[in-house]
Amino acid sequence: MYLVFCVAATVVLILWKPTVLIYGLQTAGLYAAIAIPMGLVLGIVHIVNLAHGEFMMLAAYGTYFACKALGMDPLLAIIPAGLITAAFGWVIFQLTIRRAIKAPELNQLILTFGLAIAFTQVINLVFTSQTYKMPLDYVSSSMDIGELTFGTWSFVFIAMAILYAFGLKFFLTRTTSGKAALAVGQNPKGAAIVGIDVYRIYGFVFALALALVGAMGALFLTKSAIFPSVGSPFTMKSFCLVAMAGVGNIPGILSASILLGISENILRAFRGTRGWADIVFFVLIIVVIMSRSLKGRKS
Amino acid sequence: MNRSLARAIAIGAAALALILPLFAGDYPLQVARNVMMYMALAVTWDMLLRSGQISFGIAGLFGVGSYATILAVVRGGMPDWLSIPFAGLFSGLVAFLIGLVILRLRHTYFSIVTMALGEIFRIIIHNLHDFTGGPEGIVIQQGVMFGGKSSHLYWLALGGLAVALGASYWFDKSRFRFALTAIRNNETSAKSSGIDIFRWLLVTFVITSAIQGMIGGIFVQSYGFASPDSVFSADFTLLPMAMALLGGIHSTVGPILGGLLLGLVAEWLKLKIPYGHLVVYGVMIIVVILFMPNGLLGMARKAGKKAAGGQRDQA
Repeated sequence: MYLVFCVAATVVLILWKPTVLIYGLQTAGLYAAIAIPMGLVLGIVHIVNLAHGEFMMLAAYGTYFACKALGMDPLLAIIPAGLITAAFGWVIFQLTIRRAIKAPELNQLILTFGLAIAFTQVINLVFTSQTYKMPLDYVSSSMDIGELTFGTWSFVFIAMAILYAFGLKFFLTRTTSGKAALAVGQNPKGAAIVGIDVYRIYGFVFALALALVGAMGALFLTKSAIFPSVGSPFTMKSFCLVAMAGVGNIPGILSASILLGISENILRAFRGTRGWADIVFFVLIIVVIMSRSLKGRKS
Repeated sequence: MNRSLARAIAIGAAALALILPLFAGDYPLQVARNVMMYMALAVTWDMLLRSGQISFGIAGLFGVGSYATILAVVRGGMPDWLSIPFAGLFSGLVAFLIGLVILRLRHTYFSIVTMALGEIFRIIIHNLHDFTGGPEGIVIQQGVMFGGKSSHLYWLALGGLAVALGASYWFDKSRFRFALTAIRNNETSAKSSGIDIFRWLLVTFVITSAIQGMIGGIFVQSYGFASPDSVFSADFTLLPMAMALLGGIHSTVGPILGGLLLGLVAEWLKLKIPYGHLVVYGVMIIVVILFMPNGLLGMARKAGKKAAGGQRDQA
């Protein structure tokens, strides 16, 4: 049923506005690659990190100034950015979030909200609200198929999202530390009983998620201008996607992202509706909540 | 602290607040006005928090109230004095419609959806360009209320604060207190004691949002101007939260105490560090949550208990 609908929608889009489909998928890749690490943290550490997008913003700023100073291409910085963000995230985790893991959920939310504000405002204080952008030629590369012209660089986000989703799946099911992390996510007490150091796993998973976010920060910089509040919409959209997919369902994040990315780009395709595109995720999350609560009432 | 002393302090503070314009200049009055508006937002945020739900949407409902007032006056020709209760009513209605949906899911989900509210309302205001003035904002042509007389504007803000404090006091003394505390402590046992959780939360959300919207109305009536970036500013979410947390949550006194302290510091910091002074609030929220989750009030209570215990030991 869903499959038929998806195929039909794709065919309609290809015939009607192929660019919407292409740009929609590219946006979806970007959203998914940022949302997947949030899903990982939520699924295993059980913390909603409201500073998620802000960590990416910090990574992008760090990459920008490192690249400016060394004359380096941001693409070369992807792995170092990931490692440094992971180290930074691990320190932040040990200093703050670790102390709140046993606290009520409310405290965790307020704590990470405080982190988000502190990060944004430190950047605001140091660099003001000016925007920064890397001038790169390969970003504007494009491709022609028949009469159709579209930008190709953003396909890298799709590749990244697929890499993250399958890489994580491999890690969680095939490696020892991954299996330990999964066990901690399912039942921390049981995991502690069989001899897993739960807090070490929490710190490790948090750092791993931040490595993925940090790498995305460097990649994000190739495409977009950065400013202090650039990360906050990604925090909300990531949470929306994770909530739509359901906690612990990483492939679900991919399909939720496609829905969000394509809906946004359908609205962006018209002059009259362009301004409303950023409202889509809110409508989607409301629809998801409504349908879940209706389903819940039936059963 | 015994009860009659507390009452005497409260009456004294209220009297002092009432007669402040008789001897204070324009600038102190303006500072006091801002502090009182933030304080009212802090108290109403705390009222919803007493049920265990965090709203990150204060700025959203504040902004809705602001725009309700200014659009009613500019487009609808509504008299000034009526536009402020109208803002409260309108925000309450908006909160009711949103609450019907988003209060179905609670805790984290509710919080994050409210976080988006400010952004959503801002996009709506941006896009309804012809009616709302769009990103450039909108100005009340005939100027601010009372011809900009600072003592009157001060009393107006004081009135707004009084409504918020009155509602909070009423919550504390009525069945609301029991219902909300029960919901916060354990929803399952609250439900089995016959509490209609959804209804209590909805009523609380609507009342607190209406007051926040009304404060928004008072805000635009005292400045005569609203733009999406000014009224949906993250300040209006962040400062009230920091105030309530610092002072001590789940009480009326805590947010007032935190509001007084932080409000005065905020005005000073705004002059010293125009960019990024909010970093202080971010760090303060983190420190308070980690090291003194019950705020100053909680620390004072603890110290008081310790002192009382010490005396008993000696006797």
